[in-house]
Amino acid sequence: MSRALDLAERAVKAAEGDEADVSVHVESSGFARFAASAVHQPTLIRDEAVTLRVVRDGRVGCATTNRTDDEGLAEAARHAAEAADSSPVDPGFAGLQELAEVPEAEGYDEATAALTPEDQAEAAAAAIAAAPDLGLYGYYTSGVTELAVASTTGQAVSQTMTDVSVLTLAASDDSSGYAEATSWRASDLDPAAVAREAAVKAAQTHGATSVQPQTFRAVLEPYAISELLFYFAFTSLNALALLEGRSYLSGRLGEKLFDESFTLWDDGLDARSYPKAFDLEAVPKQRVLMIEKGIARDVVWDRRTAKQAGEGRVSTGHALAPPAQAFGPIPFNLAMSAGDAASVDELAERVGDGIYVTRLHYLGVVDPREGIITGMTRDGTFRIEGGKVTTPVVNLRFTTSFPALAAGLLGLTEEVTLVNRSDFYDERYPFGTLVPAVATDAFTIVGTGSGPGL
Amino acid sequence: MQELAGHAIDAAVAAGAGYADSRVVTRRAQLVATKNGEVDSVSDSETEGIGVRVLVDGAWGFAGDPRLTEEGARDAALRAVAFARASASRARVRVELAPIAPASGDYAAPVERDPVDVPLEEKIALCLRAEEGMRRPEVKITEATVRAMREQRVFRSSEGARVTQSFVECGGGIDALAVSDDGRVQNRSYPSAHGGSSGQTGWEFVEGLGLDREAPRVGEEAAALLTADPCPSGTKTLVIDAEQMVLQVHESVGHPTELDRVYGTEAAYAGTSFLKPGDLGSLRYGSEHMSVTADPTTPLGLGSFGWDDEGAPARRQPVVEGGVLTGFLASRETSALIGRDLGGSMRADSWSRMPLVRMTNLHLEPGAGSVEDLIADVDDGLYLCTNKSWSIDDKRLNFQFGTQVAWEIKKGKLGKLVRDPTYMGVTPEFWGRLDAVAGPEEWTMFGLTNCGKGQPGQHAHVSHGTSPARFRDVQVGVRQ
Repeated sequence: MSRALDLAERAVKAAEGDEADVSVHVESSGFARFAASAVHQPTLIRDEAVTLRVVRDGRVGCATTNRTDDEGLAEAARHAAEAADSSPVDPGFAGLQELAEVPEAEGYDEATAALTPEDQAEAAAAAIAAAPDLGLYGYYTSGVTELAVASTTGQAVSQTMTDVSVLTLAASDDSSGYAEATSWRASDLDPAAVAREAAVKAAQTHGATSVQPQTFRAVLEPYAISELLFYFAFTSLNALALLEGRSYLSGRLGEKLFDESFTLWDDGLDARSYPKAFDLEAVPKQRVLMIEKGIARDVVWDRRTAKQAGEGRVSTGHALAPPAQAFGPIPFNLAMSAGDAASVDELAERVGDGIYVTRLHYLGVVDPREGIITGMTRDGTFRIEGGKVTTPVVNLRFTTSFPALAAGLLGLTEEVTLVNRSDFYDERYPFGTLVPAVATDAFTIVGTGSGPGL
Repeated sequence: MQELAGHAIDAAVAAGAGYADSRVVTRRAQLVATKNGEVDSVSDSETEGIGVRVLVDGAWGFAGDPRLTEEGARDAALRAVAFARASASRARVRVELAPIAPASGDYAAPVERDPVDVPLEEKIALCLRAEEGMRRPEVKITEATVRAMREQRVFRSSEGARVTQSFVECGGGIDALAVSDDGRVQNRSYPSAHGGSSGQTGWEFVEGLGLDREAPRVGEEAAALLTADPCPSGTKTLVIDAEQMVLQVHESVGHPTELDRVYGTEAAYAGTSFLKPGDLGSLRYGSEHMSVTADPTTPLGLGSFGWDDEGAPARRQPVVEGGVLTGFLASRETSALIGRDLGGSMRADSWSRMPLVRMTNLHLEPGAGSVEDLIADVDDGLYLCTNKSWSIDDKRLNFQFGTQVAWEIKKGKLGKLVRDPTYMGVTPEFWGRLDAVAGPEEWTMFGLTNCGKGQPGQHAHVSHGTSPARFRDVQVGVRQ
């Protein structure tokens, strides 16, 4: 039995209620962070977080603790009981997950789990050494996360995940390039190759010039489309947003909203992503087809939103832990269809004249109902002229409609890439999006910023 | 806790650390959220642990452990030393720390009524009452939240620092979401968007917010926005309310003046800064009306403390004076790099994270007069209130911010309500257009709990005091 499941079952026994479920995160991770090609803020984390949800006479309360001795669990149980007793009956509570099989999921690699702080430091050093002419900024991180959920219904599930990411920004005062890679197997990653990709990109950004703001045809690398897609998904592919009318898909399910080449799904069992067997209510993960050939089909659901919707809806296995469920269910295994373009160069040919975007920065959702997102490009923005990527461009402010971007797709690459989407706040929970590079006829630039570089 | 912190220091030094500090932290936090008249979440969380930071041959190492035992303290210390040693052999630079006198003493937030001890029933009742006041036919979703936290933090260092601090925070906010029959959506919040406002004090702070008092106005304005005209585009004079000025100060003054960003060490994620170390004392940041101060001694501020997380004492330091850059937010390491004692802004969001250069309480100093006085001197402009969206580039120059609501200003008078306002600017140009800041009677402090930075990520709790301010000739609206 895993440490996490043992903790979950002990906490269920400690719970004071008619029913209870417990989710547990156990994390052991290391960050070999670097800046200006020197080690910077290297951080090792060990932690355990136990979240109890108890139900007492239809009232629900939650408590979280990292004190995992008997006294700590008992105190958390008392706090959860007090929270429940203080609350009115919760008519929206959908009950606990009944006993159910969860699928086998990949996502654990012994060699990755065995990485030591010395290994992490060595991998960071390999990245730094691969970009000798520029300052290198970023990190190499690896971790082991045990998840478990147990409940008074008898459900007791656990999964151990590994994850590893290398992120590099190669930069000088007037140049910068970016590359990253992620996997649940460290052997999939070559930190030096990632750093070289960033350095090569940086070398192409000297002498950036401005462009006139307008709606451009554009190529977006996987790093860029991944971030836009996740912001759109967080605000629109979420059942709570759908039910509350805040989602772009509210009232539009069944309509053809995007280009026929745009198909999007969430599949927790896809071994190319960060596989997950169940959500934090212990509901088995289901594959959810959200966009099919441009037609809006569905969003992801948790037990609460499924109950709210009625009409036979069931959770698709996308719940957050109970205290965070106010955000609604979240698709953590987004995957976008591949296309037929052999490379980003072929996408540039389809664009003809436009811009090429490597990476985005600091996105903000201006209008979630219409899918309008703002942000900046950085670390590798170029003109596309005559079907070729040509000269570097300064950082650009975009305020663009994601639906218009996806309705105007000109092509997608054959290859899809897993892009890490975790910034490692709070408990470690590896997730990412599987995306191709894309070409679109609608990427709206509204302003220009500073040049590349530090 | 002091003893455990001491064990960690002893273990780190014995293992070869040239410098070591340790923080032992225990925290309890509560959140009550209600939605559409029902309880959405009642949660109570506890976390505790020890974080040990070391320098070995001039290279940093940090490790955290949740066990508040001698074994946990020693393991964290030894892991931190091992990680530092693994890095030190490849280090290109040797970290130096600016000297400070070893800190000693206690700090406690002023509290009349401990917010964690306020019965949950009372918190739920307050939320439900406030929600009730926002209800209108057009308002489909009402939400209210209150939060409470108390934290004990012990700090020791191998230089002899020995500090115990107690922090207490609480806050709250309300939101109304109106949806029209044809699917348009608008929202209003009070006292601030994105989780309300918090203070470092007792429950009396939440009671003073007047959530239920403001609720009817919030609901009415959300409903009214559904039929409002879109905000016009163009170059306008803006009067910006204190709440949106908080965001403006935070993003375009606070982050760019963090000295770690200036030196580039946050380039990979949060970004750098348009400022250079040599700009200190000479760079014109804005007009003569602009003065900004970092002040971790401000009563009720979420960034107030006795000592920061590397033992530097709290002190008020100017950042911009009369429009000229005169300070940075700094650590001991970055103070040593710049050769000036600017430290006192190192903060970690938990025991498991390494301290970073962070804002504490960063204030726009007040000018004179009322918001009505600012509006009276506008021929054609807009009065913008309450943040809705924000984005700024990696050097903190080019920004686009949106607010929940605006009112037109015509010939010195407030006019009609308009929806979806956004404005754009470039930081020093924008602040150069500042021609008035309202006076102390309009100065209000807001506490935010969602400032992200670092890898792994950390959320800082910071406060900003501002008055409404007026900016001439600003680009409003965006090309679509």
